[in-house]
Amino acid sequence: MNKTRIVGVFDEENSLMAAVNEVKKEGIEINEIYTPYPMHEVIEAMGKKTRFTTAAFLYGFFGASGVLAFLYYTSVIDWPINYGGKPTNAFPSFIVVTIILTILTVTIASLFTFSARAAIFPGKVYDQPDERSTDDKFVIVFDKPGVEGNVEKLNAILKEKGALEVYEKELNLKK
Amino acid sequence: MDTRITLSKRFHYAVIALMLFGAAVIAYGFIAHPERAWANLLLNNYYFLSLAIGASFFLALQHISQSGWSSMFKRVPEAMMAYIPYAGIIMLLLYFGMHSLYHWTHEDAIAHDELIQHKSPYLNIPFFFIRLVLFFIAWTVMTRLLRKASLDEDKNGGMLYFEKSELLSKIHIFLLAVTFSFATFDWIMSIDVHWFSTIFSLKNFVAAFYHGTAVMVLIVIILHQKGYYPSLNKSHLLDFSRYMFMLCIVWGYFTFAQFMLIWYANIPEETAYFYERWHSGFKVIFYVNFAINWFLPFTLMLSQVTNKNIHVVKALAIVLIAGQYIDLYEQIFPTILHAPVFGLMEIGFFAGFAGLFVFIFGKALASANLVPKNHPYLEESLHHHLH
Repeated sequence: MNKTRIVGVFDEENSLMAAVNEVKKEGIEINEIYTPYPMHEVIEAMGKKTRFTTAAFLYGFFGASGVLAFLYYTSVIDWPINYGGKPTNAFPSFIVVTIILTILTVTIASLFTFSARAAIFPGKVYDQPDERSTDDKFVIVFDKPGVEGNVEKLNAILKEKGALEVYEKELNLKK
Repeated sequence: MDTRITLSKRFHYAVIALMLFGAAVIAYGFIAHPERAWANLLLNNYYFLSLAIGASFFLALQHISQSGWSSMFKRVPEAMMAYIPYAGIIMLLLYFGMHSLYHWTHEDAIAHDELIQHKSPYLNIPFFFIRLVLFFIAWTVMTRLLRKASLDEDKNGGMLYFEKSELLSKIHIFLLAVTFSFATFDWIMSIDVHWFSTIFSLKNFVAAFYHGTAVMVLIVIILHQKGYYPSLNKSHLLDFSRYMFMLCIVWGYFTFAQFMLIWYANIPEETAYFYERWHSGFKVIFYVNFAINWFLPFTLMLSQVTNKNIHVVKALAIVLIAGQYIDLYEQIFPTILHAPVFGLMEIGFFAGFAGLFVFIFGKALASANLVPKNHPYLEESLHHHLH
């Protein structure tokens, strides 16, 4: 959605969190926060809960079972061959393949899940709130229409908590 | 923060009762079943030595990585290390039991077995004990120096001892890598003198680290529940659990790697080891070993919810006490006794050694402040918070 946004750029995790807590106290709604590394505090502060770990566990569980089932099907049911007198269901030798393919399954499936949830795909033109958000800066974004009446106060809070810059910008974001 | 732990009367009675019970069973064992008694002596002494070694490695790792979160608990691994010299004295007793434990000491075996002849420049009784003494001197000296640096830090403060501990830890880790490898080769692998595995020492080292950490966590939790360590929080627990989780994976990796390569190559010289451990009733132990030491902790520790639950972590650490016993039982008993035995003797030996270990541990823990005073990262540890 294309809207006017208020963007605050921070240098440090602590000042960002101070600003986030203060803004929340004032009841101002945050649209999005960009951090250089994952921060659980940010997810909690925005009132969100990640179910990503559950998804990853399920991918791992079904990946492992699927690979084992596949190996069992190919080497026991479909095409049993006698390798050096070993039983066709050579379970210990399946394990290594299972571990590797489970990791691959989890990685790829998680990547797709993440991309789908964040609506990212190759070739997508993404409106970056601030170019430095992909470097080492912490960027916080508010909708200007959403904070009508509080704009002055918001600017003051961000400045006070140590924002490097606060500015307004037209941005086409997810919401 | 000037707290010292006080050992209650009940603690003393319990420990002495354990040791007396153990002493009685040990005396009976050496009279009635000397072979089984020697196997038990080796197993139990190695068991508690491995806990001490694992704790010393944990401590060294904290120093080297300059970890802040664990600094208030460092007296616990330090006290666990105090068992090492006593283990050395008990290990020396093996001199009288060499014949029962090690096939390579038999005169007729040396005379007729070409492989044992070939190995005899390394595997002979004088050199065995020279190595044993050297290992224990190295470990005792290094752990004493680490302990001394820590106590001096309490007294004098400053960054000097922090840096000194780091240097000592680096030396300790290097020495441990070499000496503990040969120690496991000597004491445990040479029971199956015809068999060898290059991953054996790694596997046993990881087992020592794993179970040493588990016992350390258990002690910390018990102390917390007794009212010491009031600032233990969920973040500490999560870090402890992650250590156990990581080590459970590494343990599973090494143990399985050793088994899988031997199973796959199927060379008689190598499979003989698992032949002994798969027949005559030992197969159950083989599976239980994997179930307790890998499957259970792995599935239990996957979720952060269980990782932060003090009762779950405590229960798991208690189960892992049995885990290390089963792991060692599987390595030591089959070749010496040929049939699975477990009875009063095994329980008595374990109780006696456990009493001795806890007694030495308690004395060492009570002899210094429970929380180190001048550690530069102490504040970080007291207010540890994970993101």
